[in-house]
Amino acid sequence: MIHVRNLTKRYNELSSDGFLALAGISFDAMPGQIYGLLGPNGAGKTTALRILSTVLKPTGGTAIVNGFEVSKTPEQVRRQIGFVSTNTAIYDRMTAWEMVQFFGGLYQMDPEILQIRMENLFSKFQMNDIRNMLCSKMSTGMKQKVSIARAIIHDPPVLIFDEATSGLDILVAREVLGTVEQLTDQGKCVIFSSHIMSEVRRLCDRIAIMNHGKILAEGTIDELINAFEEPDIEELFYRLISDSEQSLQIQQSTS
Amino acid sequence: MSWANVKLIFMRETRDQLRDRRTLFTIAIMPLLLYPLMGMAMLQMAQFTREHPTRIWLIGADSLPESPALIVDRQLDPKWVGKERGDLLELVFSKEGDRKFHELLDTFREKQSVEGSADLVNQLVDRQMKSRGIDLAVVITPKQISTDGKAIDGHSINMFHNSANDKSKIAADRLYRILNNWKAAVGDQRLKERNISPSVVHSISIRAADVAAKSKKQAATWSKILPFIVIIWSLTGAFYPAIDLCAGEKERGTFETLLSSPAGRNDIAIGKLLTVMSFSMVTSLLNLLSMAFTGLFVMSRLGGVMGVSSAAIGAPPASALLWLMLALIPISALFSAVALAAAAFARSSKEGQYYLIPLMMISMPLMMVPMLPASQLDFGTSLIPVSGLMLLLRGLIEGQYREVLPYLAPVSMVTLTCCYLAIRWVVYQFNSESVLFRASEKFGVGTWVQHVMRERESLPTVGSACLLGLLILVLQFFIRLAVQSQLPTTWFDIVKITLIVLISTTAVPAILMAMITTRNPLGSLRLRLCSVPTGCAAVLAAICLHPMVTWFTALVMYIYPPASDLGHMGAYMNNLIDQAPGLWAIILVIAVSPAIFEELAYRGFVLSGLEGMRNKWQAILLTSLFFGLAHAAIQQSIVTFLVGAILGVIAVETKSLIPCMLYHATHNSITVLLSRVDTSVVEGSPVLPWLLYSSDGTAYQYSTLAGVIMTIAGVALLAWFFRNPAVGSDQTSDSPIPNLQPAARARA
Repeated sequence: MIHVRNLTKRYNELSSDGFLALAGISFDAMPGQIYGLLGPNGAGKTTALRILSTVLKPTGGTAIVNGFEVSKTPEQVRRQIGFVSTNTAIYDRMTAWEMVQFFGGLYQMDPEILQIRMENLFSKFQMNDIRNMLCSKMSTGMKQKVSIARAIIHDPPVLIFDEATSGLDILVAREVLGTVEQLTDQGKCVIFSSHIMSEVRRLCDRIAIMNHGKILAEGTIDELINAFEEPDIEELFYRLISDSEQSLQIQQSTS
Repeated sequence: MSWANVKLIFMRETRDQLRDRRTLFTIAIMPLLLYPLMGMAMLQMAQFTREHPTRIWLIGADSLPESPALIVDRQLDPKWVGKERGDLLELVFSKEGDRKFHELLDTFREKQSVEGSADLVNQLVDRQMKSRGIDLAVVITPKQISTDGKAIDGHSINMFHNSANDKSKIAADRLYRILNNWKAAVGDQRLKERNISPSVVHSISIRAADVAAKSKKQAATWSKILPFIVIIWSLTGAFYPAIDLCAGEKERGTFETLLSSPAGRNDIAIGKLLTVMSFSMVTSLLNLLSMAFTGLFVMSRLGGVMGVSSAAIGAPPASALLWLMLALIPISALFSAVALAAAAFARSSKEGQYYLIPLMMISMPLMMVPMLPASQLDFGTSLIPVSGLMLLLRGLIEGQYREVLPYLAPVSMVTLTCCYLAIRWVVYQFNSESVLFRASEKFGVGTWVQHVMRERESLPTVGSACLLGLLILVLQFFIRLAVQSQLPTTWFDIVKITLIVLISTTAVPAILMAMITTRNPLGSLRLRLCSVPTGCAAVLAAICLHPMVTWFTALVMYIYPPASDLGHMGAYMNNLIDQAPGLWAIILVIAVSPAIFEELAYRGFVLSGLEGMRNKWQAILLTSLFFGLAHAAIQQSIVTFLVGAILGVIAVETKSLIPCMLYHATHNSITVLLSRVDTSVVEGSPVLPWLLYSSDGTAYQYSTLAGVIMTIAGVALLAWFFRNPAVGSDQTSDSPIPNLQPAARARA
C-alpha cells in the first residue's frame, strides 16, 4: 500500500544551513496495518508524512501510495489519503457541516453520496449537535472530530495521522485512537506518528524509530524489543535515541 | 487545473471573508459610512468656513477725485465692484486727528523716493495694520499737489498686504480688480474731457470665453478624481483579504489542510485570487458610489450654505462609470495578484502588512503621475503600468476618444502583461515550498551580521546580492546629491566625480561584501581568467551589437523624449570633455573605468548571488534591473537594462568577469568614438563610409544594411557563448570556483 525507498528531504537546499530533514528512509506499510513512526521532535516524522501527503516534495527517493508516486502524480495520491495533523486545522468561520461538505466537494464526490456519507459520519462521531456550529466556537475535541470527518469523508484507503492526539484530553484521545482502530479494521492502511509510547504500544503493528532524518530501527514492537534486548518500548526508544545523539556528537567533533 | 475546485475554493473563501467582521468593515461598512460621515462633517464645518469681511484701511482717500468717485457714502461704488462681493470689503477710514495716520502718511511720502526705505515703510504699515486689526492698507497719494491743495496728474495707490495671511491676500486680490475697473473709468473720463474717444485707447479689447459645454466641464472634473478613487481603493480592497487568505490561513493552520486536499496549488492560487479580486472590485465600486452620492448631496447643500455652484461638479457622466468598471477588472486583477503573492510570502498577518505597505508606496507614484497637470497620454506614458491606464481612463471620461483610443492597444498590452506576470508570480508563490513553509525566525541586525560572519558561504546568497543592488542605489543617491551640488567646471572635475561615484558607490561596496560575506571573494566577483577566443568574442560581440543598442536607444529617446535641460547639460558636459588631454583619457575615464567597476558589482557579486535562484534568466534580468536603476535618467536605465542583459548572458555562459569587462569597455568606447567621429575620419577610412552615414555631416549613424548584418553577427556570437559554455574554465586549474549547480553551491 505504501512503499518508501531512500526518501530524502533537504530544506532550503540553496543555503549552507540547508537542513537535511530526511536522510534516505525506507519502509513499507500494508493494508489493515497501523505503521507507527516514532521519534523525538525534529526527527523527521512530520516531514516524512508531509511528503506522503504531497504537501512537500521529496529531494530524493521514491514514495508510492496505493500505486501512485508522490512526485509524479500528487493529485492522485491526495485522493488516496486522509491527512490529519496538528498543522491541519479547520476553518474557524465555517460550520462543521460546511467544512466536511467543502472537502467532499474538493474530492468531487457525487452530491447524493456525499450527503449520505456526511449523515453517517456525523451520526457515527456524534456530531449532529454541532452540525451548524461555527468551528471557532468548538472545543478542541470537537474540532478534532470534525478534522477526522473531513479527512475520511471520501473513504480513502490510506490514512495519515501525525500526532493526532497531541493536546487532546484523555477522553478525546481515546476516542481518536478508537477511530483509528476502527479504520484499520476496515482494511485501511494507517500511518501513525507519535511520541506517546502507550499509544504506539496499543495501536501499531509495525514501528520505525527515527532520529535526525534516519530510521534507527524498524519492525514489530516485539521484534525490536527482542533484537535490542530491552524490557519495553520506552527503554528501547531511549537507548536508540541516546546512541544516535552520541554518535552524532562524535561525528561533529571529528569533522 | 480543475475549475470545479477553483469555484469551490472561491465560494468558500468569499463566504469566509463575508463572515469576517474586520474584512467586512474595511470592504463594505467603512466606505458606506466614511463618505456620508465626512460629508456631514464638511457641512458642519461649512458654517465656520464662511467668508468673513476683510478690513481695508484707506489712507489719503480724501484726495481722490469726486468724479468718477471710487467711494460713495463711505462704501465702494457698486459700479466698480462688479462681480466681487462688496459687502465683504469693510472700509476703514482714517479719522480726523489720527496722529499716527498722519505720521505714517508723511513718512511714506518722504521715504518713497529714498532708496532702501521700502522695508522701513513696510514695517511701519505692518505694525499699524496689526494694532488696528486691518487686513489691507491702501495708501493713496496725489502725484502732484497744486497750490490750492488739489491733486494734479492723478494718484499713486499703494496696497500693503500680508502674503502670510490668506484673508489679507484675498482682500488685496478683490480690491485690485475693483481698482482696475475704476481706473479704466477715470481714464475714459479724462479722454472725454480732452475730446478724445476712449476707443482710441481701447482699440483692442480682450475677452476670454470658455467654450466647454457644461457636461464636458463636469466630465473634466470627474476624470481627475474617479480613476484615482477607483484605483487606490482597488488596491486597498485587495490588501486585507489577501493577507487573511494567505498569511492569516498560515497563522490559523488551515493552509496545510487545504494543501493536502485534492485541490492543486494552481486551483488554490486562482480560487484565492478570484476572491481577492472580487473584494477589490466591490470595495472600489462601493467607495465610488458612496463618494459620488455623498459628493453630490454635500455639493448641493454647500451651494446653499456657501454659495458654491454644484453645477461645477454635477453628476458624473454615465459613460464614465462604464469605462471605470471596464478598467476595474484588469487593475483589480493586477493589484490582487501582487497583494496575494506578497501576502503568500508572509508567515503572519502582521508580517503581511509589512510587505503590503511598500506595495502601496510603490503604487502611489504611478497613481500620482496622471494627476500632474502636464501629464498626458502618449506612447511613452501609455507604456507605464497603472499611469497609462489612468490617463486612458481620463481621456475616455472626458470624451476624447479620437485622442486616446490609439493608445488603447499599448495600454491594454502593458496592463495585461503586468496582470499575467503578477498572476504567474502568485502561482509560483503557491508552488514554492520555501515560500509556503518558511520557518519562523526572529530577525535582528546583530544576529544577521553574526550569522553572515560565522556561516559565510563560498558564493554570495540571493539576499546579499539584493542587498548590494539596493545599497548601490542608496549610496549613489547620496553621493550624487553631494557631488552634484557643484557643477563640474573642468575636465578634471569630470574625472574626479566619475571616479568618486564609481569607486565609492559601486566597486568598494562590492569588494567589501565579497570579502566579508563570502569565503571566496574572487569567485564571488567572478574574477577568473577566460580563454583568448572568449575575450575576442566578447569584444566582437560588443562591436557587432552596438548598432542594435544604438537603434534601441533612439527608440527609447523617441518614446520618452529627454527633458530640454538634460540636452543642455549634455552639451555642457561635452564641452568639458573636449578639454581632456586626449582621446585616450576620455576612453579611460568614460568607457573603461565604468566597465571595470560596474562589472565587479553587477555581473560579479550581484549576478553570482542571484544565480542561487536556480533560474539563470531570472538572475540575469534581476541583475540588469539593478544595473538599469543605477543610472539616473529613465532613458538611460532602459538602455542599460538591455546592455546589462547581454552582459549577464556572457557572464553566466563564460563564468568569468573578463569578457564582460571587455564587452562593456568596447561598447562604451564605440559610443564615445561614434559621438566624436567627423567627416574627415569617415572619408579617410575604407570601411566607415559603408558602415556610417550622416544626414547633416555631423552626427553619424549606422547604415541600415551594415547595422542589420552586424546585429545578426552579434546574435550569432551570443549563440556561440551558449554553445561553448564555460569556455574559460579550462584555462586555470587554480581558478577560484567553477559555476556550481545550486545544490552544490551550498557545499562548495
